[in-house]
Amino acid sequence: MSNSTRKIKLTLSESHGKNWLNELSLNIKSINSDSIHLNCKGLKLTCKDIKYIKSLFLKEKINLLSIESTNAESIVSASALGIQTFLKLKEEADNYAEESATISEREQIKSKIFFHQGTLRSGEILEVDHDVLILGDVNPGAIVIAGGNVKIWGRLLGIAHAGKDGDSHAKITALQLRPVQLRISDKIARGPSEKPDEGFAEEAKIEKGIIVIKPARTN
Amino acid sequence: MKSVTSDTRVILICSGKGGVGKTTLTANLGISLASKGSPTAVLDADFGLRNLDLLLGLENRIVYTAQEVLEEKCRLDQALVKHKQEPNLSLLPAGNPRMLEWLKPEDMKRIVEMLSNEFEYVLIDCPAGVEDGFKNAVAASKEAIIVTNPEISAVRDADRVIGLLNSNGVKPIQLVLNRVRPKMMESQEMLSIEDVTDILALPLLGLVLEDEQVIVSTNRGEPLTLIGSQSPAARCYSNIASRLQGEEIPLIDPSKEGSGLRDKLRRLMQTKIF
Ligand SMILES: Nc1ncnc2c1ncn2[C@@H]1O[C@H](COP(=O)(O)OP(=O)(O)OP(=O)(O)O)[C@@H](O)[C@H]1O
Ligand SMILES: [Mg+2]
Repeated sequence: MSNSTRKIKLTLSESHGKNWLNELSLNIKSINSDSIHLNCKGLKLTCKDIKYIKSLFLKEKINLLSIESTNAESIVSASALGIQTFLKLKEEADNYAEESATISEREQIKSKIFFHQGTLRSGEILEVDHDVLILGDVNPGAIVIAGGNVKIWGRLLGIAHAGKDGDSHAKITALQLRPVQLRISDKIARGPSEKPDEGFAEEAKIEKGIIVIKPARTN
Repeated sequence: MKSVTSDTRVILICSGKGGVGKTTLTANLGISLASKGSPTAVLDADFGLRNLDLLLGLENRIVYTAQEVLEEKCRLDQALVKHKQEPNLSLLPAGNPRMLEWLKPEDMKRIVEMLSNEFEYVLIDCPAGVEDGFKNAVAASKEAIIVTNPEISAVRDADRVIGLLNSNGVKPIQLVLNRVRPKMMESQEMLSIEDVTDILALPLLGLVLEDEQVIVSTNRGEPLTLIGSQSPAARCYSNIASRLQGEEIPLIDPSKEGSGLRDKLRRLMQTKIF
């Protein structure tokens, strides 16, 4: 009989660089299970990192079942490697006691953010009540509408509306912000006409009553 | 009914926007595939504005149509019009426009199943738009070729259609960019190939150059590929057919097809492949 699965946590602050690796290597021997759900909290892990973690586990004959994180990049990296992922909102992650979490609680948290895999094409409309994370582009002619934040792991070339029910703190983030139109709460802005610098994520939010676009905070 | 397990390639040729060159591509590709040895059927699914028969010069030889086949008033082989000069190619003509009122996706599937028993390729000339005619045609197709022009509105409509094809499980979907003018692309008066593939994110099956001969041949009812024309578009169509059959023929970037003296010299020295 195999042991039941357990979760382990990595609780390193980002300032400590790759310390999580040490912690993982130390803890890995004491894991008494043949499969594992990994919670990486806010850590930003690249595909390479996750591949490495996976290989560490494999060496101990432990199967990496899923990865849970508050960091969208880690989620993207993990899902790119075909690992099941759970993205959590930061506030919720802090509030929720990992040890006592049951599957159903986790399902709930997962459902607060809507995940869309793939590009939204012209004529497609995606509307959700909470946050939305899109892994793909939002093409011209497509519309994404969210009660909370809109996060796009790709290019925003169509229309995005964050905070549709009046949340003026909602933000729109994308790897490339070149929308036809942006809406946050009840504010509307036309997209910028000049092309943004490639390679920097950008974020749109309301400041002093108008929508502004800035390089996204890196956290 | 027997279950269909044939490897017939049923390819929908569609665009969303009208007038971008679907019917012209269907006719030329049909002739080209047939002349390369593949028994091919072209099916006119544009019941509203049928004109595939015209382009193939077969209008006067139509006796029965898909309609009579479905109503079991004739057999499939009676309705199929075999091309005289290219007997590997047959056309199944569209019925009258009123067919649109009762035709169901199942009907379209039935027709395509019948054709699949006889042919290696079934090309479906799709109507413009995304309404019933389009939906019927999609239901019967396995894969698709999206035809578009380097124009924003055509690309936008193509994108919409790709979304619909994706949600209907049609794949692979490949792209043909029609009416390419190297000079206008070079001077950035026209969307570039990258502009188009960047948005649509599809593999490029081929480019077709803007070519007056297309219009001439349309009026004669003789597709360019039938008369062995060496005009630019004819070679493009033939290359697309070869790529469909799995041959690897490289694409050339028309931005390198400038009109300067050096370009002209270089062009003399290399054969262009589109
Ligand atoms: N490469 C080309 N060069 C020049 N003219 C072209 C080219 N391709 C198509 N055309 C012309 O464009 C017109 C429209 O072509 P076609 O009928 O094939 O489009 P379609 O997409 O089938 O249109 P519809 O949506 O109405 O069915 C025709 O007059 C045709 O001759
Ligand atoms: Mg047509």
